[in-house]
Amino acid sequence: MNKNKTAVPSPNLSRRRFLARSTVAAVGAGALGSALLSPAAWAASAIGDHASTTLLRMARDVFPHDSLEDKYYAQVMSPLAEQAAKDSDLQTLLKDGVAALDEQAKKRFGKVYLEVATEADRVTILKALQDSPFFQKIKGDLMMGIYNNQELWPRFGYGGSAWEKGGYVNRGFDENDWIEGV
Amino acid sequence: MTTTFDLNDDSLVVIIGSGAGGGTLANELAQKGIKSVVLEAGKRFKMDDIENDEWKMFGKISWLDKRYVEGPARLAKDFPNLPAWIVKGVGGATVHWAGVAMRFQEHEFKMKTLNGVIPGANVLDWPVTLKEMEPYYVKAELKMGVCGTEATGMPYHRKSSHYQVVAEGAKRIGANCEQAKLAINTEVRDGRPACQVAGFCMQGCKIGAKWSTMYTEIPKAEATGNVEVRPQSMVLRIEHDKTGKVTGVLYADKDGNQQLQKARLVAVAGNSIESPRMLLNSASSLFPDGLANGSGQVGQNYMTHTTGGVYAEFEKPVHMYKSTVVPGIVKEWQNNDPSRGHVAGYELEILHLGLPFMSAFMKPGKGGWGRELADSLANYDNMAGFWICGEDMAVESNNITLHPTEKDQYGLPVPVVYKTDHINDTRMRNHAYDRSKELFDSIGALKVNNLPPYPASHNMGTNRMSEHARDGVVNRWGQSHEISNLFVSDGSQFTSSGTENPTLTIVALAIRQADYIAEQMKKQLI
Repeated sequence: MNKNKTAVPSPNLSRRRFLARSTVAAVGAGALGSALLSPAAWAASAIGDHASTTLLRMARDVFPHDSLEDKYYAQVMSPLAEQAAKDSDLQTLLKDGVAALDEQAKKRFGKVYLEVATEADRVTILKALQDSPFFQKIKGDLMMGIYNNQELWPRFGYGGSAWEKGGYVNRGFDENDWIEGV
Repeated sequence: MTTTFDLNDDSLVVIIGSGAGGGTLANELAQKGIKSVVLEAGKRFKMDDIENDEWKMFGKISWLDKRYVEGPARLAKDFPNLPAWIVKGVGGATVHWAGVAMRFQEHEFKMKTLNGVIPGANVLDWPVTLKEMEPYYVKAELKMGVCGTEATGMPYHRKSSHYQVVAEGAKRIGANCEQAKLAINTEVRDGRPACQVAGFCMQGCKIGAKWSTMYTEIPKAEATGNVEVRPQSMVLRIEHDKTGKVTGVLYADKDGNQQLQKARLVAVAGNSIESPRMLLNSASSLFPDGLANGSGQVGQNYMTHTTGGVYAEFEKPVHMYKSTVVPGIVKEWQNNDPSRGHVAGYELEILHLGLPFMSAFMKPGKGGWGRELADSLANYDNMAGFWICGEDMAVESNNITLHPTEKDQYGLPVPVVYKTDHINDTRMRNHAYDRSKELFDSIGALKVNNLPPYPASHNMGTNRMSEHARDGVVNRWGQSHEISNLFVSDGSQFTSSGTENPTLTIVALAIRQADYIAEQMKKQLI
């Protein structure tokens, strides 16, 4: 995140891109992923430990932002799993979806999704399932939960609602330190 | 101020729709003392309902009734139920628009004369010229309060960072970029405040600095006592007598009860999907193919604009959200120059999307996920970009038809929108993508992203104007060729789409049409 200048120093763009394309990224993602291996009670009770950790791993693979803490992904998956406890259709969608992920993973790499070490390999699995209602449900919820999350907007450098502050007319709408005035 | 007219009052004008066309027509007629009822399918929103929140406002004000998009273009796959991104509410799409108020260029009124027959297209000259339109453009600019025009004398907005970045890129490749003429106050004017640059023009202007019939034309019309607006009134059919004259409008009111409002004259202004749909739904033994459809052209020649988006990422912040939505326009390719490989022109309208919409439109459809997209979104604050807005060829098979079996919540057949690119659109879009990359590369873009088209807010054609009855639906006044007391008052009467945003032209045509209607009524001709 460009605006994430306080908590986690953000690598510059070219470094981030380099990381994304190298095996180092896989190690980094794996390290972050390990934090996901302790499922929250809610998810475990609704869909089981394995499914809940798989979903969180998947969430980070769908919209990977290495500098975003796990909690932001969990914040999206959590209500979904809670709802699944009451909604059997949703529960089936999630359980069957995870089972399909594992099946694809076993077919391609001989192990379950969570154990597939590199992001590139996991992405191959996700691509095979991307048209499924399961994948699209997770993707849609994540898109709203990450990019429509006001708490995260400052991390992306997005201001959101401004009329209550008088808009931007006196708050830097014309400030730019790298383009000559045209 | 809350005038109520009798359902049996057959001296009234009934206007269907309250946006740029219907709202303006109602007020223009009201100022002349002509009484009308405005039937609006959507609710009446208050200023308090307007929030600076992209998805909330999308859910609140959009026309989301069931529709299908068909055709081989990617849009039909990415947005199968949302061909158009417009508003269901008093004010119509003028709640949602960005305020861009540009006149059509002279050549855009005579594309057929200019380019001859274009294979695969159904291009036609307008029966109106720019010269005839000019006085009405002046009136429209005055009414709407368009900055940067002689008509108002109101200065342009100051240049936002987003404008500066794109304008510098344009300068470096020798392209012309200008500040946008916007119907957004830069000074207190007409009882409305100056713009705060909150950046949410498309979600409804929270302070009313932007012109919208929701809080300009409609309340002004109502204040005369000559207009009654009936929100949540969905038109089911337009009735006619045995001589073929329209006599009234059957609609479902807010409680779902059917009402028949009698009329001396009916003006249809429900946008390019609903307007032809109403005419088609009003088929009768006298008009078996739908009202005003002797030519078979009702619903045909649906045009949007040739669109796409280009957003470049830079090393340093642009903070494009701190700007009017459209601060400027690259006009270099707005002319008709077939040597580019396509006829008609396009403009690059500097336009920002908030992070939520950017995440949805950058790579729309099922494949819109993954690290590349996430990396670009992580760079949101360093993005600058624009919307490609080019002339879309009229193609007869791009059309609005009625679903053979499926009905909506009003019991009306669901509209099916078929829209695909003419080869000219594809060539134009590719030309725009290429020039855009050059523009952004010239100022050091790290990455340039091409966005595919997303649902149109600019909807035109489907009831087009034509000199001859065989080629279109209405004459030069928006009056049905076949039914003298039936008018079309929205963008569906456009003969060609031009490259400019349609609103100013819709308003200018409505002002001109009001003069004609008043004169014709006075002469007892309608």
